[in-house]
Amino acid sequence: MEDDGTHGTSIKLKSENGVVADLSGQVHLLPCSIKFDGPSSVSDYFKPKSTGMEVEGLRLEEAHFRGRKLQGTTLSLPEGYSGFVLGKKGLGKRKAPSISEGNSNCWEMNAKFKNITYWKHDSLPSQHDTFVRSFHWLAVAKAMHQPVGAEDLLSASIALEKMK
Amino acid sequence: MGSERVLLPKWASEPCIMGIDEAGRGPVLGPMVYGCLYCARSYQKTLSSLNFADSKTLREEKREELFENLKADESIGWDVDIIDPRELSAKMLKKNKINLNEISHESAIGLITKVLNMGVLLTEVYLDTVGDTEKYRIKLSERFPAVKFVVAKKADSLYPVVSGASIVAKVTRDRALREWVLDETAEDIDRNFGSGYPGDPETKTWLKHHKHSVFGFPTLVRFSWGTCTPYFKELAEVLWESDMDDDSNCGKQQLKLSNVGVTTSKRKSEETESSGKGRCKFFQARKLEQLTNF
Repeated sequence: MEDDGTHGTSIKLKSENGVVADLSGQVHLLPCSIKFDGPSSVSDYFKPKSTGMEVEGLRLEEAHFRGRKLQGTTLSLPEGYSGFVLGKKGLGKRKAPSISEGNSNCWEMNAKFKNITYWKHDSLPSQHDTFVRSFHWLAVAKAMHQPVGAEDLLSASIALEKMK
Repeated sequence: MGSERVLLPKWASEPCIMGIDEAGRGPVLGPMVYGCLYCARSYQKTLSSLNFADSKTLREEKREELFENLKADESIGWDVDIIDPRELSAKMLKKNKINLNEISHESAIGLITKVLNMGVLLTEVYLDTVGDTEKYRIKLSERFPAVKFVVAKKADSLYPVVSGASIVAKVTRDRALREWVLDETAEDIDRNFGSGYPGDPETKTWLKHHKHSVFGFPTLVRFSWGTCTPYFKELAEVLWESDMDDDSNCGKQQLKLSNVGVTTSKRKSEETESSGKGRCKFFQARKLEQLTNF
């Protein structure tokens, strides 16, 4: 999406120098909310390990956070999709943001990722998890938005005939 | 002792006695170790002459020396179960919490099972009490009907076979802590954690210097220990989904939050996860919400 003046929100998905940090393998979704916002030495403290086991076709990983054992799995984003880390435009730059910039809803991409590791406490990751299932929407959306061709109409009417 | 094949000594088919004892139950960091020592009942007298005593009453060098002696003694068998602090924390912080007594019982049972499976003819097992003495004895007797169990307070000073086990456990725990490989790779972590006992000034100082606002502590620390609680108040707060699932728990959490005065209206709205409320079933089941403002 390019800057769109008509709405309040805009997202710029091109980085200024063309180089985009790839965070694949480093994006974790934890089963908790951490009341902290800012950089942290994640890779020094959070050490996921592969268990070599599989559940429901998901490769099981293990990690510990705040004394609790987490079990998780890494999901690749479907072909044609990317994950983005967005930041408020102008923030974190040398120049202090002006009042208008602070209020505007302009976002820019700081990094992208092709997979995400989601973690559970006290239970194993499963195909039934809401998070895994939420990806179904992408396939459904694709089917819904595909232009209908003559063949589709034909097969649909045959299917309808059979149901009668 | 890994996969190497252990040749069973001849005396193992005679009636044998075994002692079991633990080291590192109290400390706030490092592993807890269960050790066992076993020998033929006919060797009991000799065992008494080996000067094993409750490991706590011996100096470290003496313990190390006795451990080396008993390792070299072909009439004695021994084994250990090293319980990682990560495992202790994880079990005690599960939704269905496993308390330290249960973990201890399971460790002792594991050692007995292992030695029996090796083919050692255990007839008597001596242990220090963990929790209620009689309940523990019944639990063990039901599990191993062929073995006579003696569960007693201060078993480590009463029975040489338990004293021996206490030396095995204590030396293993001390070595494990000395050689502990920290999981964390941050540069500002040092190894001066002392004995790990909550009262040890060195341990206290180490805890103070190694708390991390997001991660709490290195995983060497037993997060489930009461000693840690005061430190947690100074860290970034963490709310767990698994604690929230429970309605009663959720209420408690909320109460706690407002007590420390961090539940501003903004924070509250952050806590509400997407629900897909009001949308068709497909989206509700996947908690997918349409987002137009963020």
